[in-house]
Amino acid sequence: MSAVIRLLLRRLGISVIVLIGVSMLIFAIARVIPGDPARIALGPNAKAEQIASLRAQMHLDESLPVQYGHFLADLSRGDLGISLYTNRPVTKDIAQFLPATLELVFCAGIIMIMLGLPLGILAARYRGRWPDHLIRVLSLVTVSAPGFVWAVILMLLFAFYLPLFPIAGRLNDSFDIARVTGFLTIDTLLAGDFAAFTDALHHLVLPAIALSLSGIGQAARLTRANMVETYNKPYIEMAQAYGFFPSRIARIYAFKPSLIPSLTIIGLDFAAMLGNAFLVEAVFAWPGLSRYGVAVILRKDLNAIMGTVLIIAITFLIVNIIVDLLIAFLNPRIRHSARGSA
Amino acid sequence: MLKKAVIAASICAATLVTTPVFAESVLRLDEVAVGELDPAKASDYADSILMFNVYDTLVLPQQGGPGHVPHIAASWEVDGANYTFKLRDDVKFQSGNTLSAKDVVYSLERMQALGAGLSYLFAGVNIEAIDDTTVRFTLEQPYAPFVASLVRLPIVDMAYVKSNSDSEWGEEFLSANGAGSGAYSVKSHNPQEETVMSKSDSYFLSVADAAPDTVRLRYGLEAATVRTLIAQGEHDIASQWLPPEVVQALAKDGAQLLTESGTGAFYFKMNTTKAPLDDANCRLALSHAFDYGTAVQMIAINDDISAGSPATGAIPVGMFGANGPDSVMAQDMAKAKEYLAACQYDPADMNIEVTWIAEVPLEERFALLMQSNFTQLGIKSEIKKLPWALFAEQVSSAENTPHISQLFVNAVTGDPDTLLYGMYHSSTPGTWQSPEYLNDAMVDKHLEAGRSAADDAGREAAYQALNARLMEIAPTIYGFDRQSVFAASNRVKVPALSDPTQAFGLDGMGFSFRLMEMVE
Repeated sequence: MSAVIRLLLRRLGISVIVLIGVSMLIFAIARVIPGDPARIALGPNAKAEQIASLRAQMHLDESLPVQYGHFLADLSRGDLGISLYTNRPVTKDIAQFLPATLELVFCAGIIMIMLGLPLGILAARYRGRWPDHLIRVLSLVTVSAPGFVWAVILMLLFAFYLPLFPIAGRLNDSFDIARVTGFLTIDTLLAGDFAAFTDALHHLVLPAIALSLSGIGQAARLTRANMVETYNKPYIEMAQAYGFFPSRIARIYAFKPSLIPSLTIIGLDFAAMLGNAFLVEAVFAWPGLSRYGVAVILRKDLNAIMGTVLIIAITFLIVNIIVDLLIAFLNPRIRHSARGSA
Repeated sequence: MLKKAVIAASICAATLVTTPVFAESVLRLDEVAVGELDPAKASDYADSILMFNVYDTLVLPQQGGPGHVPHIAASWEVDGANYTFKLRDDVKFQSGNTLSAKDVVYSLERMQALGAGLSYLFAGVNIEAIDDTTVRFTLEQPYAPFVASLVRLPIVDMAYVKSNSDSEWGEEFLSANGAGSGAYSVKSHNPQEETVMSKSDSYFLSVADAAPDTVRLRYGLEAATVRTLIAQGEHDIASQWLPPEVVQALAKDGAQLLTESGTGAFYFKMNTTKAPLDDANCRLALSHAFDYGTAVQMIAINDDISAGSPATGAIPVGMFGANGPDSVMAQDMAKAKEYLAACQYDPADMNIEVTWIAEVPLEERFALLMQSNFTQLGIKSEIKKLPWALFAEQVSSAENTPHISQLFVNAVTGDPDTLLYGMYHSSTPGTWQSPEYLNDAMVDKHLEAGRSAADDAGREAAYQALNARLMEIAPTIYGFDRQSVFAASNRVKVPALSDPTQAFGLDGMGFSFRLMEMVE
């Protein structure tokens, strides 16, 4: 068995333990936060006996361990229960809303990587000079405000004053596209409708930029710091002494070793965007899972809260496993240490 | 270089803009998110709008005045506690099925079985289908507002529900689909995004050609988003929940302001079981100290339109028993001091807990206003923010209920009984509507008289007496009569929300899309 597969199996094992821990924690927290889910679901005018009946139906009149047992039994059948908010199976809700958030987060992640890393490289290469100073200022500005502030600023600039981009939803009303994957950029292509595809991209621009801006600044600063440290290593001096082009030194000898710590943070940022997307989704009326998560928390919809948190936790773990594997691929020392400790 | 890049990006983006070409008129409005479409669970504003458009009811409120007119019902007769309705025979559901008495029976039994939303209005009501077009309701006792309650009984297509669902009541099916006879049918529903409805061809009443062909009810839009969408010409009617500042800005930009009033009020409810508010003199002192004028100014949109009008008493103007528009409540510190002197408690020992609902930031401003007013009387107060879920739980016991809670309450059927009985009758304490925990025999008597009076004159007299008694014992500071304000583009005409002679006197019914007109 190769070292990478052993690493993967170990990470998967840890992930299962983490998921069980998360599920227990969220299960308990969701039940102690104020508000009776049955009362909220039935409306403010429901009678006491109606509320009691729904509580019994939801097993809320039983002890927490027994309730958790019911949850696990249902989960083992792939049943996350019915959402009190939408009155549909939670799995159906997640299947409908998750692709919208994933599409947004993927786009934001790509923008973060495509802009953050090159800006970091540029700043390191011209350290102490004006491009470095400019990128530092830009990075600080982008990091200093959360995504929803950028969402409103971008909306004001590029929709209110300069009406260039749409600001609500994922696709113009005039397009009727069959939802196959739920990713509209893919579904529009599957439908062969290029106009709809460009419209879907057009709708993605502002929310994806708003969500990615703080990550761009963070990635740029981190990459710069790591690369500056690498530039001080003797082998870089040797490469410079050999007369290698600065661009080659930056791309090959300084960037690759500097990428490893950056990659870890970028991976965490990427996964964190799933949860943080809520406010950006709210501003741009993006019908995603993060917004759904907040809606169900406000209504204390226990099944939907559990389902949403578990899905976000699973995605978080998957991203971390991918990052671990990438780091192992990039850094032979980690591969070897993994082999040694297996 | 940067400038070129910006210009290039702008040009690229501009070329990507796809201008939709609509062959049909589209009305776009927004509201708070509606998780599901089940009409039996409709109790909020948004799901009421959906219910009134997708489903029909036996009667409708009379436009521009009190009373009700036949709708699905052709006529009705009242015999004590028996109400017999003759149905129209030309009403078809959107499925093509004919609406019959069996559907009315199914709809009522369905509401009672689900026990959600406003089903409590029909508790203890029996129903039978006499024949295909006659249905009889039998009540446990005479209940004058029963006909008004029927505006909350949407008639569901039984055969269509049963053919699309394995369960008796088709809950899952109706949570995302429509099965009504209304002027609009549901085309799609995404609880996170919007419900799309289209004009029904088979509606039994004539609908103007100018009524919108398609309606997109969008959910959960932020104020900044709504403002931008209206500026872009991509939104028609904003929800009433926009902050007053945003409505003001939209009005300045040329938006029209639509209004709906006469169905509810904003109340500062005092826990009458907790010292010092268990003393009516103390409550009267606080009532007179409150600055009603400033409260109304705080919600003004412009010189002409406000989100509320000055209260004249416990009952909003326009309802049975309301005081005339001249008897406006006003701050009177001299009287407040007089009542405080008669109060059994020492003001120096008082610490009034004033709460505001976390989801309604406007209430914090009222809490601060009250704190300032009470300070003028030498009474200390403490402001607390409470999420709605926590508030609803706290009010279930008198000890946990705060001294003062702020609430918008409206008459869900347009009748004062559904506004006042739940708030003040001694049999209904401890709900979100009744944090007063009032237990007053005279109030009970007047409320019961309002329910059982045989005619409108009797009801008017009962509610007038009730209003006087409530003013006398002041369980509540009657803040202001509520007026919902909607900023709208000039592409739409909504007579029911702009012309008082066309108004329905029922929250949400002004949004009957069939009565709207798209100008462009």
